[in-house]
Amino acid sequence: MADKARFSVGDKVRVRNLPTILYSRTQEYLRGAPGTITRVTYESLAPEDEAFNREDEKPEWFYIVRFKMADLWKSYAGPPQDTLQSEIVERWLEPCLA
Amino acid sequence: MVKTPDVTNIRVKLLEHLVERGQVWNRMAEKYGVTNPVPPWKSSLDGMCDALDKYGAVLPTVTRREEEDNLTERQYAELPFPESQLVSLAHSLIARKIIDENALTNRMAEVRDRLESCT
Amino acid sequence: MTKKAPMVEEITDFEVLEIALRELAIEKGLFTAEDHRQYTEFAEAMGPTPASRLVAKAWIDPAFKKRALEDPIAASLEVGINWLNPTGFGTPSDFTALHILEDTPTLHHVVTCTLCSCYPRPILGNSPEWYRTPNYRRRIVRTPRQVLAEFGLFLSPEIEVRVEDSNSKHRFLVLPMRPDGTEGWSEEQLAAIVTRDCMIGVALPKPGVTTNAVLPVHHASEPITNNSTEK
Repeated sequence: MADKARFSVGDKVRVRNLPTILYSRTQEYLRGAPGTITRVTYESLAPEDEAFNREDEKPEWFYIVRFKMADLWKSYAGPPQDTLQSEIVERWLEPCLA
Repeated sequence: MVKTPDVTNIRVKLLEHLVERGQVWNRMAEKYGVTNPVPPWKSSLDGMCDALDKYGAVLPTVTRREEEDNLTERQYAELPFPESQLVSLAHSLIARKIIDENALTNRMAEVRDRLESCT
Repeated sequence: MTKKAPMVEEITDFEVLEIALRELAIEKGLFTAEDHRQYTEFAEAMGPTPASRLVAKAWIDPAFKKRALEDPIAASLEVGINWLNPTGFGTPSDFTALHILEDTPTLHHVVTCTLCSCYPRPILGNSPEWYRTPNYRRRIVRTPRQVLAEFGLFLSPEIEVRVEDSNSKHRFLVLPMRPDGTEGWSEEQLAAIVTRDCMIGVALPKPGVTTNAVLPVHHASEPITNNSTEK
């Protein structure tokens, strides 16, 4: 089973900018974006491992992360409180200190 | 997202021919006064996509959908949905040489004979 | 939801293609006939009615609403939907992780899947064509208010618009707010105004409105008369 979840609800995180050589479900538009953990969802194989049948890899925790639209798009014209959420696997997240 | 061979570079004459013949559902339904918004084979097509997704290795979902988006935009822009979903799937499988275009052409002729001899 | 479709009298190329492709795929071992049969039956049985009923029940019964928010899979069972079907562990593309997004007076949700148009099919049925298009998926995460406006939905700047990108195993259903003018309505009356579009988040339920938007998709082949959403 997975290790203890690294992040908890309320933690500030940033989506990492890992090289995507093959398969990933972490969207390009989220790379490098700062967000907040709003849910710890479940543990599962990371999509990269699942896609290549690496069943013996350790599962990781998944999180719902909330982003401010203004942090995702430089020219976002909507109100500052608009947000977006997405579900990200632990290996794609790092603590955001800013 | 996924680096795959660009299947839009490949042309599949069989499929282009079907597009030209234009027997798309919205035209056929109108011709026969049938009001069902989707053709009767749609659920079977969805069953096929789910069955392929179950094993995942041959054509992963994200890849299949990305190719469907690209093919629908480029080569098969005149096709409505869900013909676009079906033809894109066939194109993806033929481009990967998982299904052979000639084998499919022959099988289609057989299937048509079989169905027409029943009606 | 299923009834045998009335027949057109010609056998179309696409009907033939679907059968031929499927037969060759099974012969090649890409999947089994049994797999296909199971998933096809599942596709035929699904529709949006259970989801409409779930929302209507949540509006009427606060205890059910609490259950729906805390354990949506169990609440789905109460409207006759078992997310473990048809295989005992769900389908390969829907999984078994439903989450219900509750709208409030200051929060409006809208759902998309930018990667491949994942959708809560077991409870909501098949996704509409526009939901699958790059036109919707690309733009809803960049300019949500503009896309919603194209659906005729204008939200005040005091409201937070939250886009939910279901890129992983969770599937999302919006629980919209109960509109005014529905006091004393039965569950059935309420369910009739909870359209599929309301549960995706591109419409709000309204007394008297029981149908979904008919939107042009840029490669549709019939002439379009209302506003275009072409990119």
